[in-house]
Amino acid sequence: MNVYIYDDFLNKSRYRRTLGKIEIRLTDLGLNGKIIRLGSIKNVKDLIQAELKNGVKNFTAVGNNNTVIKVVSALVSNKAYDFFQKEILFSIIPIGENNSIANSLGIKKGQESCNIILARRIKTVDLAWAGTTVFLGKAELKTNYAEIEIDEKYKIEIEKNINAQILNISDIKNLINIDRINPNDKKLNISINKGKDTTYIASNNIQIHGSGELLLDTSLVESLPVKLGILKQKLNIVVGKTRNFH
Amino acid sequence: MFNKENKIEKFKDAETIIGPSIRVKGNFSGKGDIIVEGYLEGSLKTDANIFIGEKAKVNANVEASEAFISGNISGNIKIKKYLAIGKTAQITGDVQCGEISIERGALISGQIIVAFEQRKKDIPEKISEKV
Repeated sequence: MNVYIYDDFLNKSRYRRTLGKIEIRLTDLGLNGKIIRLGSIKNVKDLIQAELKNGVKNFTAVGNNNTVIKVVSALVSNKAYDFFQKEILFSIIPIGENNSIANSLGIKKGQESCNIILARRIKTVDLAWAGTTVFLGKAELKTNYAEIEIDEKYKIEIEKNINAQILNISDIKNLINIDRINPNDKKLNISINKGKDTTYIASNNIQIHGSGELLLDTSLVESLPVKLGILKQKLNIVVGKTRNFH
Repeated sequence: MFNKENKIEKFKDAETIIGPSIRVKGNFSGKGDIIVEGYLEGSLKTDANIFIGEKAKVNANVEASEAFISGNISGNIKIKKYLAIGKTAQITGDVQCGEISIERGALISGQIIVAFEQRKKDIPEKISEKV
């Protein structure tokens, strides 16, 4: 059985037509299922738990990066997820702005995303965490001065004009180090750029000291200092042909 | 082994790259190839190979399997197999390696020990095999 979790911003009238087309397409493809609207539901974790108990294995987040993080966080924080992990499949139907996660997975907007779900091209990816937040794609460091401590052994100084990102899946296809970024290697990839200079380090034990913040998947903010790593749980996810990893 | 033609190709897929604008402090250790183009202070150790670029400044003891050094190092260098020192290298510290090549123009202030440890171990075995 399929469950489609609609974010509350989709209640706006401007999305009604898009959603209508998507629902028709899903029905045509035989992928129709239960629709849950987050607008009226505050505890997503309880909602997911109830659906897991009902035997639901296919969860689809309908919305943007924020929706994906909300649903994935609720999914993996359930005890039942550890048990059913291998059977659970997660998909995204991107709608509106701020959809870098779907882009990096090669999932196109609108009705095309339904075809991608039907194709069931599945990859297992790592899930990253920063502080108390789960993220899937990248964390961008916004700071005037910070130090990135890696493996509790050495530190890198980051100044204002340096662009530092911690990537699980890259949303930029032409990134110099794109081939190194493997979302299934249990490691985060620290990519630091200043002009043409590039620094690249992989680790799953990262701490960032200093003042400033970390922007997770262009949606959520964690204040410094913060620790980052990879969760023990993985996620089976539907991807498109144009994804940014092998 | 390194030579001018293949040294860059060899490091193309290095596990770690420290760019020219980056300052690293602490004990850096890894298992894969490492490229250092920036500033590093502490210690630098890998089971694989190290490339230290022309503009790099390393205040650290360095340990690796093989290394190509073109930058500035203050510290002792211990390389298991082959060490190539480029013409722009400036090394202050003792150097220990299995094999070495030094390009004209390199500056080294310290003791150099080239010890074919592996070969020394191999020779008695080969002799005993023949006997």
